[in-house]
Amino acid sequence: MIDGYKRLMNLEEPLPSKKAKGFFTDTSLCIGCKACEVACKQWNQLPADGFAITGNSYDNTGHLGATTWRHVQFIEQAKANGSRQEQRWLMMSDVCKHCANAACLEACPTGALVRTEFDTVYVQQDICNGCGFCVPACPFGVIDRVPKESTFEVGTAHKCTLCYDRLKDDMTPACAKSCPTASIQFGDVEELQQRARQRLGELKARGESTARLYGMPEGQEAVEVGPLHAFFLLLDKPQAYNLPDVPRLPRKTMAERYGWSAAVGVGFAMIAALVFRGGRR
Amino acid sequence: MSEAQGYYDYPVVRRPVWTWEVPAYFWLGGMGAGAFVTASLAQATGSADDRRAGAEGFYLAAAALVPCAPLLIGDLGRPERFHHMLRIFKPLSPMNLGAWTLTAFTPLAFARAASHAADTGLLHGPIRALTRLVPRRLTELAGSLLGLTLAGYSGVLLGATNVPLWAKSKLLGGVFMASALSSGSAAVTLQAAGRGSPEATLHRLATIESAASLGELAIITGYLVQSGKAARPLTTGRFAAPFWLGAVGMGALLPLLLHRFGMRRHGRTRRSLSAAAAVCTMAGSLALRWSIFEAGKVSSEDQSASFELSKA
Repeated sequence: MIDGYKRLMNLEEPLPSKKAKGFFTDTSLCIGCKACEVACKQWNQLPADGFAITGNSYDNTGHLGATTWRHVQFIEQAKANGSRQEQRWLMMSDVCKHCANAACLEACPTGALVRTEFDTVYVQQDICNGCGFCVPACPFGVIDRVPKESTFEVGTAHKCTLCYDRLKDDMTPACAKSCPTASIQFGDVEELQQRARQRLGELKARGESTARLYGMPEGQEAVEVGPLHAFFLLLDKPQAYNLPDVPRLPRKTMAERYGWSAAVGVGFAMIAALVFRGGRR
Repeated sequence: MSEAQGYYDYPVVRRPVWTWEVPAYFWLGGMGAGAFVTASLAQATGSADDRRAGAEGFYLAAAALVPCAPLLIGDLGRPERFHHMLRIFKPLSPMNLGAWTLTAFTPLAFARAASHAADTGLLHGPIRALTRLVPRRLTELAGSLLGLTLAGYSGVLLGATNVPLWAKSKLLGGVFMASALSSGSAAVTLQAAGRGSPEATLHRLATIESAASLGELAIITGYLVQSGKAARPLTTGRFAAPFWLGAVGMGALLPLLLHRFGMRRHGRTRRSLSAAAAVCTMAGSLALRWSIFEAGKVSSEDQSASFELSKA
């Protein structure tokens, strides 16, 4: 009967799942060359963002968006150390985190956002109707809708696909392939996590006391959205990179929200019924 | 650099892409649902006068729902793909639940309005015969449940995001529900005042509307307290006037006063006061949706509010 239903609804069998793929972005190795941004734009044929100058260091991209799926941050820090002024420059190539519990995917009303066989989060462009709900749902501000006046896949939601088309052919995603310092590492998530722990140990041993991992299963950032399949080694607090301490998954509070809404509705119905009944006496 | 500082002053989350169609739809859908629920309660529990006056609410519900689907569809990036919302049933997504609820509620509201039109002699011939097939009580019960869902999901939908103004407090769904019920019952009051219903009926409708307004004020207070600093884009600046004067003052306080005055008057003065109160409640409901919706866009760019929302 289930087979008949599937035939009737023209449902496809999901593809057999493969090992989870992801990125380990080691910001201690990033030199801010932006090769990843360019490679991503070229492979995915994304239009340019224009020639806006932000005035904030060498970052004229600003943020991830519908047509920007890698973004290199330039964080300039000055710290007083006794009488000396210490300066440092943190660079970080930001990307969609491909959360284990993805807020965008849960918000999607059409089923356009799906989890692929590589355990990544992907927008099916032929399904998305551009409702825009995934945009404010994402706690990292990654996914966005293309404006109606754009020349590129108008009106639908876009974000990093983890180069789904390249993964299909066993190829490395364009950004990781182009990274000259191996700051962006691609591979099986489990193996990348091991590598990250080892790298963190090395950095700590060298005295990088503020180094930390962001998006590992044991981190507080994974409490709601789960482990991030694109995770990071950071050299400062997450907030310095505009990353939330505990990214919120809207589903966690939804029952309580509906509860308050229902309570008001039931309260109104009871009062109204009492008042109307009073008129029958 | 100081402790809490983020990456320049860049927002953490993306700005919502929705435009004016969304608050307009929330307002009309909520008001239509509120009118339907009030009308159904009058049928189930009211006197003959109340039932007659209340039934006009079915017309209002149907009329308010007419622009809802076009507004919801018009806001999509790809409007021609609206039906993709209905290719799956996914109540986990409030957007999907809302699309299904509107799809199911609209025909019920129209069917019940049609059967009321037949009762009052507005419909004749085969259409009148067709409306006989509408099971009234069942339509009222199912429509009320769907109507309450339609009135309540919109605030939950905005709350189920990472926009601090919408998400910090868990009460926004309740706020929108209260606003839908006060404006919906106000629409019924307005009709009753205009059609010269008995003063006792007008009195009861005003009492119900005032109860909803009081509930609305209470839950708005709770919402603002819970939101704390995250409510600043709403309570100060550009949206302070539409919120305080429009939604709170005109939408709840003024109607409470007008109804209170009206109860001591008779005849035309009373009807005029009730009608004025009802119009204020309905307009205030639009001010509430619009100001919270637009202030949410400002809130999405508030980096420190986003960090506050994600505090361990």
